[in-house]
Order: sequence, then structure tokens, then C-alpha cells
Amino acid sequence: MKLATLATTVALSLALTPALALAHEMITDLDGRSVMIHETPKRVALGFYYEDYLAVTGPEGAAKIVSLSRAPWADWRPGQWAAYTAVFPALETLPDFGNADDNTFSVEALIASKPDVAILSTWQTASLGEPGVKQIEDAGIAVVAIDYNAQTLERHLLSTRVLGAVMGQPERAEALAAMYEAKTADTAARIAKAGPSGKKIYVELAQKGPGEIGNTYGKGMWAGVIDLVGGENIAKGQIENWGPLSPEYVIAAQPDVILLAGSEWLNKPEAVLLGFGKSDAAAQPKMAAYATRAGWADLPAVKSREVYGIYHGGNRTLSDFVYARTIAKALYPEAFADVDPAAELVDYYKAWLPVAPDGTFVTKLQ
Amino acid sequence: MTALPVPALDRWRARAARQGAAVLIAALVLAAFALLDLMTGPSGMTPGALWHAALAGPEGADRAAATIFWQIRLPQLCMGLIVGASLGLAGLLMQTILANPLASPFTLGFSAAAGFGAALAIMGGTLIPLPLPGWLLTPALAFAATLAATALVWLVARARGTAPETLVLAGIAVMFFFQSAQSLMQFMASPEVLAQIVFWLFGSLLKANWVAVTVSGTILLVCLPLLVRDLWALTSLRLGEAHAASLGLDVAALRRRAFLITALLTAGAVSFTGTIGFVGLIAPHVARALVGEDHRLGLPAAAIAGALILIAASVTGKVLSQGAAIPVGIVTAVAGVPMLLAVILTKKGG
Repeated sequence: MKLATLATTVALSLALTPALALAHEMITDLDGRSVMIHETPKRVALGFYYEDYLAVTGPEGAAKIVSLSRAPWADWRPGQWAAYTAVFPALETLPDFGNADDNTFSVEALIASKPDVAILSTWQTASLGEPGVKQIEDAGIAVVAIDYNAQTLERHLLSTRVLGAVMGQPERAEALAAMYEAKTADTAARIAKAGPSGKKIYVELAQKGPGEIGNTYGKGMWAGVIDLVGGENIAKGQIENWGPLSPEYVIAAQPDVILLAGSEWLNKPEAVLLGFGKSDAAAQPKMAAYATRAGWADLPAVKSREVYGIYHGGNRTLSDFVYARTIAKALYPEAFADVDPAAELVDYYKAWLPVAPDGTFVTKLQ
Repeated sequence: MTALPVPALDRWRARAARQGAAVLIAALVLAAFALLDLMTGPSGMTPGALWHAALAGPEGADRAAATIFWQIRLPQLCMGLIVGASLGLAGLLMQTILANPLASPFTLGFSAAAGFGAALAIMGGTLIPLPLPGWLLTPALAFAATLAATALVWLVARARGTAPETLVLAGIAVMFFFQSAQSLMQFMASPEVLAQIVFWLFGSLLKANWVAVTVSGTILLVCLPLLVRDLWALTSLRLGEAHAASLGLDVAALRRRAFLITALLTAGAVSFTGTIGFVGLIAPHVARALVGEDHRLGLPAAAIAGALILIAASVTGKVLSQGAAIPVGIVTAVAGVPMLLAVILTKKGG
């Protein structure tokens, strides 16, 4: 209900936008807060969702960033950070206003960078609390919260439209939202047509190496995507949010599909490294090592080589439809025979982002 | 009481003057650090700009400067002073009633309880139907959990007496209980939530605001007169339990009172900032090194020392990391070890 009102407000403001391009505009953000945007901001403090921001603003958005929460970009996704700093070297020297996750978020540093607007994630505004948000607003800075973490179609679309309305790019935002909605609808339609796959699927964060069983997801994150595409997640009911399954349980469950979630981690020699600047050739032996775990050779997933590598940083962003389609393709190979998720990712970057996804984001064990 | 021989009285007066001067100097150093704290911050405002912002008042025309001075730096400073003083006082009280130099406000499980309350709020924040704005939930639950831990230790003390051994053992049991409950929370939390819980435990002044200052400050102000009433009694207790009892002191009642005040001070201090370590352990030692056992000077000295340690740590944190400040709890923990060693090594024999 609240979402519906939000949507109407945004839709209304969008409808009015062409006529009032630079005039006062009331926007309702993803916290449900009403934010007045007087004119298109020239200076932006950016908290998170860096790629989604740039997808909506286009390349000129990068020059508008005057400060950012650096750790979630540079430390969590070093490969992605390297790709963007190569195109926008100025990012490297921007002031850092800290990370809400480890309690180092400094409102003072944000205010000191003198932005017109602070675009934050809802987990950042939640961490700041009302007093923190008020401090920023009292300094004359508009606070806009967006939310791709919820991993729902509604909030993805709404966040995109809010970004468009704030940054004066409603047409671009609308086109992105339409694209994302169409991809999601197409995925759902193909799955509905194919009928239930009945395939059991196991996802593991392939960070610790084959010697130690890594975390899997019972709810949210990859579990959310698996639920969305109708896979039978073996961790469901066993793991509350995240955590390792017992190795014995994995073998007993006999998964038909195994997903190894990899990222651009530093100093993890045994991990499956995926993402920007990572090669499939390097990922293959790491994935193969996982497949030789005790008892794994006889798992249906390993016997039929249904073992996939998938980029862990791909969640909670506008390009996450690619990973949903990767998992869906593993579950319903015929229904998605003509879908190439890796190519769709390249297309997405080509159409919307100033960098190319040079690296490996989805792969399959050879 | 027989009159003291004159030279002894003179010596005592001289020592009292020295000790009074030491407290005064400590207070002046604290004032200097407080000023320094106001002048440091990631925005790098010049002292001049800061002075203008201060004069212009909270509604000053330069919104950024006014907000930074009146809504960020000033409440952070006040919070640091209040939390440091509360933890210093609570630490001295704990060491006195437990007759144990290793005791701190956290000895009896208060920090573990506060951490559990905070973890509960961070994890299930929206699930708990409390008529509070979301940001107040964590401090409220941390406070409530600390009081729950107090009640548990209190029940044991009612049943089995307030001997230090009893209190410490009951406190340790409570601490392990809340620590395991907190571990369970951490085990069930998702990675992002886990990080929030862990970093809450480090303690930070960054989220200080005037509401927090008012709440914690009120608790400190309420506790002060209660403490003043017991100054003599607490000093007598330092002579040993038997001595104190022979002076007609109801030691058990005194311990219970002091224990409740400690709990209140600790809960007020940590609920908004997280469990800032070491301050409550070191400040009492610094205070005793300055003024000896007399609690008339010892309590103010412990409060000043606690505030000084915390504000110095805050300044250090802000100078070390220009952009995002290091949580002050980490600085006190790192700086606390050499400080404790210094106190031990410079301590006069006996």
C-alpha cells in the first residue's frame, strides 16, 4: 500500500518532469521521506549503488560526485573500483565520508564536501538514524535514500526512477526501468512455460577454498534469486540467513546444480575469483578443485558438470537480472537455450555504463 | 580524636594541597583537550571559521558550518565528556566495592548485556513493537539489557550477600550468559548485520546527538548527588571491610547502593556509544596515582581522567584518519594498554 502511494508520487512527479525540468520538485524516496529538489544537483555525495547511479546519470554523473563512501566500492569490489578509476581517475582522490557498516560514517566529512544532495542506500540512512539524516538536511543538503538491497522488482524500479528524478534524467531512468522490468518478465514467462524444474541446487560462497565449506544462503541474497527462479535450494529450512551446511548434508542432498559464488577478493589464493579483471582460465582450476571434494565426484551436479561460477558482487544492482537468468538457465536449459547471460551483461554495460565488463562474471565448469 | 602533632598536620595539609592542585591541573588539561576536540574534524575548518560558526549560533547563515559546529562537534564533545566521566566514576566505584584493581564497569557483565541488547535491536529492530523511533531502539534495548544484568547480580547479592567474591562470581556468570546469547545472535545474523553488531561493540562517538547527550547527561547528574552522600563511606571501605565495619558502616548496604549507581552510570554511558573499553579500568588507577585513596578527590579525579582519556582518544582518532574517523573505542583499546603499563610502572612502591 505504501509502495503504491510511493509509486504514484514518483509517477506523478515523472509525468510533470518534462515541463518543470529544473523547477522545484517533490520526490518521495525509498525511506518514504519527501525530498524537495530545487534544481538538478551539481554536487553529489554518493553512498552506495555507484554503478546504478552512473547508469542513470550517464558518464557526466561521475564528475558530479564530490565525496563518497569509499570502502563499499574500493574494498568490497576492488576489481570494479579499478575499472572505474581507470576511466575516472578523479574518483581516487575524492573525500571519503566513511562506511556505515563499520560505524565510521562521518556526517561531518559528508557536509564538508558541500554536496547539493546526498544519495544514500536505505541501510545507510537506517544506520544514521533520524538524527543523522536531520544533521545532513540541516546543513542544507537533500538526503535521498534508494534501495536495491531489497532485491524486489518494485524497489529496483522505484529506486531507478527516484535516481532519474533527482538527477534530471527521467527518460534514461524510465528506459532502464523498462529494460529491467522486461528482462524480469521474460525470465518469469520462460520459467512459467517450462513448468517446475524440480532440480536441487546448492550455492556456496567460494571464498575459503575447497578445504573448508563456505557459507550458503537460506534466505535473501542468492537464496532469494533461487526462490525467484523456482529452484529447490537445499539450504532452505537448514540455514536461517547464511552459514555453512555440514559437508555430509550437502552430499546427502545430492544437488543437481552447484553454484560457486566468486568475487574479486584479495589474498585468497584458493578462492574462485570472478569479476572485473578475472579470467575464466584462472577460475576453472579453482572450480575443479571444489569438484574434487570428498564425495563430490558422485554428485549429480558434478557428474553432469552442472557446476557454475557466478559473480558475488552481482546482486543488488540493476544488472542482477543477468545472474537470475544464469541460474534459471541452469535449471531450465531448454527454456533458456537462446539466452546468453554473459552476452546480456556485456550488452547492458555497453548500453548504460562507461566501462566494459572486462573479466569473468558467469562461467561453467568445463 | 587526639590532635595530630603539628608537623604531621602540616605534611597532611601540604599533601592535600598538592592533590587538589593535581585535580585542578587535570581539569585544565581536559579543558584544553576539549577545545582541541572541537577544533579537529574531517572537514578541516579553520579555527576562525569555527569561531564564526560558534558565534553565529545554531541558526547561523552558513548552514554547513553551523551544523558541523552545533549539531556534530559539540554533541560529540559533550557525549565524550559524559561517557568518559561516567565510565571513570563507575570504574572507581567498582574497584572500591570489589576491592579489586582489575575491576571495571564491565566486570559484572554489563558490557556483555549491553552488547546483547544492541545486537537484538540491530538484528530484529523492526520486529520488536516498541513505540520508539528506529534509531532509539538500539540504545533503549542496550540500556534495558544492562538493567536486566544488574537485576540478576542484584538477586544473587540479596540471597547470598555482597562479599566481593559473591558479586564477582555472580557477575561472571551473568557475563557468560549474555556473551553466549550475544554469540548466538551473531551466529544467526547475516554478514551485513554481523558487521554492524561487531562495530557497535567497538564504541564510537560519531552518532552523538543532543537527545543522547540529554539522556546520558541526566543519568550522570542524577548519580552525582547520590555519590556525594557516600564519599566518606567509600573512602572508609578502602581501608578494608573489617575496618569499615568497625567504624559503624553498613558495608553490605553501601555495596548495593554503589553497585546500582555503577550499573546506571554504565548503562547511560554505553547505550548510545557502544562499549568503549579500558576507560573505566584505567581512569581509577590514574585518579589514585594523582590523589590517593580519598574519594572526596578520587571521584572527581576519576571522572576527569575518564573524560580526558576519551577526549584524547577522540582527538587522536580524528587526527590519524582525516576522512572517516576511527571509532573512538578502538583508539582507547589500543592506547589503553601502554597507559595501563605506564600507571603500573610509575606506581610508587606499596
